[in-house]
Amino acid sequence: MHTDHLALLRLMQLSDSALPVGAAAHSFGLETLVAEGLLDVAHLELFLKDYLEEVGTVESIFCRLGHRLVCESDQALFTEQWLALNRRLSALKMARESRVASATLGRRLLQLLHNLEETLVVSLALQSAKAAAIETHYSAAFGLVGGIVGVDETMTTLAYLQQSLTGLVSVCQRLLPLGQSQASWLIWHIKPVLLTVAGRSEEVAAALDEMSMCAPLVELGSMRHPFMATRLFIS
Amino acid sequence: MRSSGKHYPTAGTPPCGGRLHLHFMRSQGGRVQLRIRDQHPPLQVVRAFPLSGGGALVHVHNLSGGVLGGDQLALDVEVGEEAHVQLTSTGATRLYRSRPESPPAVQTNTIKVRRGALLEYLPDPIIPFSGSRYQQRTRIDLEVGAGLFWWETVAPGRAARGELFDYEHLLLDLSISAQGRPVAIERLKLEPHRSALSSPARLGCYSHFSSFYVLRVGLESVRWTNLEKELGALAQDLSHPGELSWGVSALIAHGLVIRAVSSQGRDIPPGLLAFWRVAKRYLYKEEPILPRKMY
Repeated sequence: MHTDHLALLRLMQLSDSALPVGAAAHSFGLETLVAEGLLDVAHLELFLKDYLEEVGTVESIFCRLGHRLVCESDQALFTEQWLALNRRLSALKMARESRVASATLGRRLLQLLHNLEETLVVSLALQSAKAAAIETHYSAAFGLVGGIVGVDETMTTLAYLQQSLTGLVSVCQRLLPLGQSQASWLIWHIKPVLLTVAGRSEEVAAALDEMSMCAPLVELGSMRHPFMATRLFIS
Repeated sequence: MRSSGKHYPTAGTPPCGGRLHLHFMRSQGGRVQLRIRDQHPPLQVVRAFPLSGGGALVHVHNLSGGVLGGDQLALDVEVGEEAHVQLTSTGATRLYRSRPESPPAVQTNTIKVRRGALLEYLPDPIIPFSGSRYQQRTRIDLEVGAGLFWWETVAPGRAARGELFDYEHLLLDLSISAQGRPVAIERLKLEPHRSALSSPARLGCYSHFSSFYVLRVGLESVRWTNLEKELGALAQDLSHPGELSWGVSALIAHGLVIRAVSSQGRDIPPGLLAFWRVAKRYLYKEEPILPRKMY
């Protein structure tokens, strides 16, 4: 029990919005959607639910697959699968700014854990990616880290989704007239969607051919973001 | 025959297994020759038209006039070394209503572009009719030096008669690999009756969408960064948020993707041509050759 409690405390720290990896600097395209009048407070709940259903499901699948790699004891196999996982996610993330943001956060998360507690798995994940010039994405890195600290796969996935939701709402608070009470209400009431998404991701992770995503506006928001005249966020 | 209030033809038609296997080779004289290795209706090619510079243009026909429910269609294309090929359609790809008992129509595209070759795939839009179910799976392998211009546009239905997003299921599954490694994977699944496409996370106020992949394997990343800037500026010029929106992004390597969403189908083709023109000049120092048909 003591180990479980310690693992949970560590996961809570790693999924906290105050974690120094730079997540608060990224909107992942939302800044463009707000600037172009495609997202407002009235439609925010719907947007967040659908964003999580589409983008959240895919990221959760990679979070789960990252978590499963912790069980791989063969270093060569681990490296091969870790690189293939991240290469595949890079190919799925076609909007450059969001892809780079995800890779930056993933690398920083692994480096942070490496500094907090050196482990062979994290060293291998960082070194192999650097040697192969492969980006390490946040969702896959988060799953790997959850496995390393000893939290089960579904709890890790839920923590990933929870911090994603909190991050998105935080972005919206800076872009839209969204008060703290409203923000808390959204985060509280959307939690059942996180459970649904986590469950769906478990099904699809077992049959990757079923993976799909339909979020054209989110992707377009990221593609158009570099051309905004004034920007609060890096992505 | 009546089912769910919809009318269907009384004559049953078995699922159709159309195949088309095309192989293009560049001859010693520089001309590109077409060899039809396999051809089974409703997919058909009549002939290859020569392009200036030695390339070949081929129109892919669907003799059914569209894709019927349950169809299993396969298009295999191999573009030999240094060959330049244009593939286009003879009109919009109409996806007809599926019978409730029939499986989804499936089209599988398997494309190989050999060393130094160029494939330009420039079809007309896909129009999913009310009640249609369609899955399109495309695998593209590019060798070193191979180039690709590949666009695809999807309409919401027969928009002129007010039929918008009344299809059941549309899956566009695309994977592009360069020298054996994935550089673009798209798995777009639309089920309008299950997940509202008007959501601001999906299509919002827009109804039509388009993707245009531009690749040339082996080009250094700085060239793609520069082209992304140039095409990105064009995207800004062409966009009118709320009506038409374009975006451009460099892929992880060897290329970039251009996306569009629009509330009017007619706004997309001129934009595609504008991007094609700039990218073709930048990558090949050539003007694009418009396929012989309605342009």
